[in-house]
Amino acid sequence: MITVKHLSKEFDGQLAVDDVSMEINKGDKIVVVGPSGSGKSTFLRCLNLLEVPTGGEIFFEGQRITDPKTDINEVRSKMGMVFQQFNLFPHLTVLGNITLAPVRLKRQTKQKAEETANRLLDRVGLTDKRDAYPAQLSGGQKQRIAIVRALAMNPDVMLFDEPTSALDPEMVGEVLDVMRELAEEGLTMVVVTHEMGFAKQVGTRVTFMDEGRIKEEASPEEFFSNPKHPRLKDFLSKVLNA
Amino acid sequence: MRDSVKLSRFFGAGQGGCGLFDEIYRNIIYQDRWLYLLKGLWVTVEVTFFAILLGTILGMVLALMRISNFKLFRIRILEKISSFYITIIRGTPLMVQLLIIYFVVFASVDIDKVIVAVIAFGLNSAAYVAEIIRGGILSVDKGQAEAGRSLGLSYTQTMRHIVMPQAIKNALPAYTSEFIVLIKETAIVGYIALEDLTKVGDTIRSRTFSALVPLLTVALIYLLLTGVLAKLFMRLERRLRRSDNR
Repeated sequence: MITVKHLSKEFDGQLAVDDVSMEINKGDKIVVVGPSGSGKSTFLRCLNLLEVPTGGEIFFEGQRITDPKTDINEVRSKMGMVFQQFNLFPHLTVLGNITLAPVRLKRQTKQKAEETANRLLDRVGLTDKRDAYPAQLSGGQKQRIAIVRALAMNPDVMLFDEPTSALDPEMVGEVLDVMRELAEEGLTMVVVTHEMGFAKQVGTRVTFMDEGRIKEEASPEEFFSNPKHPRLKDFLSKVLNA
Repeated sequence: MRDSVKLSRFFGAGQGGCGLFDEIYRNIIYQDRWLYLLKGLWVTVEVTFFAILLGTILGMVLALMRISNFKLFRIRILEKISSFYITIIRGTPLMVQLLIIYFVVFASVDIDKVIVAVIAFGLNSAAYVAEIIRGGILSVDKGQAEAGRSLGLSYTQTMRHIVMPQAIKNALPAYTSEFIVLIKETAIVGYIALEDLTKVGDTIRSRTFSALVPLLTVALIYLLLTGVLAKLFMRLERRLRRSDNR
């Protein structure tokens, strides 16, 4: 579904992502872990071109999206993204947040979009919040709405950029539960996270990034029980024994 | 004059017609001077209203040009044009701009002075409104635009439905100030012999040889005008802030 070839991204002479290649197939749940500043968020943001790569190529469903002639809006509408800071639109109600893109992009009529929104809100248990404004929601509720907003476009793949890092510990669970459910339904996901439990349970492949490079990529069992790269061993010993 | 004496006696003012009520009579009521004042007020309101309209539309365009990344020959051409315009307008006195537009640009054109004033004040106000709106846009978190674009919305759609509504809300207090400043600044249109509120007040002063009442009246009318406007915008601001309430 997504093929990344020798991707790199340079910021002012600094390589944030350095020659990363990856193959993401339909149904994959790729979990990317690594220390802060390792380039994992930048890598994720390159996938939907929120960051424009300075080198390499990305193919999405056969289309070379790094080609300047690509209709990037069309591509992005098939890739949902969930942000660390939620980025809900504060001037719109929950329903407004969810229906804005489907209606404006003429994917659905307003009425149809609201039906979809209601169905998705019901799934994450937030039906009663449909007319609330983001400021009236807790962090966990905001993130669940943000997930619903992305899902409302019926994307082929979902990108999660540290979705639980800005949450109070007690709210992490409710967001991970939703993500786990989506994974079980077969949604293709790329998740940048520090939640090792989630990586172990849900990931089909776990990737370790450090200094802009992929240092190790393995199945979750292999990744956690038998890490090979010394930097990963060190990283895991620190995170798991914290 | 006989009338005025009669009236001043009625109000118990002193002999010779120099009491306050007599002053008010001479400066406002006599020869329908209140009507003259009202006409001046109308000119002030007319010029201000159309100037802020022009200034807001043009200012919005200038603000969007200023943040645009559009390049021609590797130069951010729209940004350059907008910056240049703002530098010129902000760097020269409004009065000089008004005189140039009247005596140079429209020198050989027979045109209503109200329109000249609207153009001068509108062009001037646009530069300030542009900076106010740009400030509003910059105050919106970058994540908002990213969220919009990540959903597949175009740059224009993201600006229009996500960034601008928030930017305008944030810019409203500064915009209100600009509006109020503009009302007061129109007081210089007397220099192109347009009879606005200030000019009318001054004309009355020169006819009656008393300054206190006509000028104070003019000041009071300005105060009323700006006061009502500030109230209205305060109400609008509160309405736009509804979504911030927890």
